[in-house]
Amino acid sequence: MTSPDDIVAAELARLSAEFVAQLPAQVRAVEDEVAAWLDRPEDPKRFEIVSHRVHQLKGSGSTFGCPGISRAARLLEQRIGTYRRQTDAGKPPAGEDVESAVAGLQNEVVRARNQSWGPEESG
Amino acid sequence: MREDSLRKILYVEDDADIRKIVSMSLEMVGNYVVTACASCAEALQVVDEFQPDLLLLDVMMPDMDGPATLRALRKRKSAEDAPAVFITAKVQAGDIAKYRRLGACDVIVKPFDPMVLPDRIGQIWQQFRSSGYDVAG
Repeated sequence: MTSPDDIVAAELARLSAEFVAQLPAQVRAVEDEVAAWLDRPEDPKRFEIVSHRVHQLKGSGSTFGCPGISRAARLLEQRIGTYRRQTDAGKPPAGEDVESAVAGLQNEVVRARNQSWGPEESG
Repeated sequence: MREDSLRKILYVEDDADIRKIVSMSLEMVGNYVVTACASCAEALQVVDEFQPDLLLLDVMMPDMDGPATLRALRKRKSAEDAPAVFITAKVQAGDIAKYRRLGACDVIVKPFDPMVLPDRIGQIWQQFRSSGYDVAG
């Protein structure tokens, strides 16, 4: 007989696989939203949109078996915050730091998908 | 006055996948009755009928965040004395104290293992019951 723990674990595995499959689209959306925000960093709505998506990735990455995604999203969230504080203070902001953190997130997507698909590819 | 045992949890989380796995875990592993909502507006629609024992609220949500959702729910008789637990991925020094001041009796930090969440919620409930924590914060 299947225990409740087994059922929840199976659903967690299914959602984790779905999460990994959707990561490329998620991170493309992050790229687009970061670009839109950097284009108009004074727009609070754009900041809110990008902050929210990156924060969600940070929270869900490790829950769904991708701690690297959480780490990369955390770094991006920090750099977005730094950029905003610099902009608010009238200092020249470091847009390249934000962009390199986005690149780090892209690298983690590749890693997560390779880890997820590794056994199938090697088999 | 609340029941001694925790039975009904009102859970508000905008991320659909997290909402699903947490609800499943709380219901199937923890044997709690869970009403899961995607937003504060949804929670306000169901809270009076559901009469929750405990509120479990994501902090960072669009439109109305966790603290704003808690303030809105506290205005309802059905949730005015239910202990609230925040879930957040954003914890820096001082954040937990800040959330407690906002009315949370505890904070669960993301990422968390959905399989052990029911035990954690049970512990928080027991602490709440034994400490007589003031939900007004």
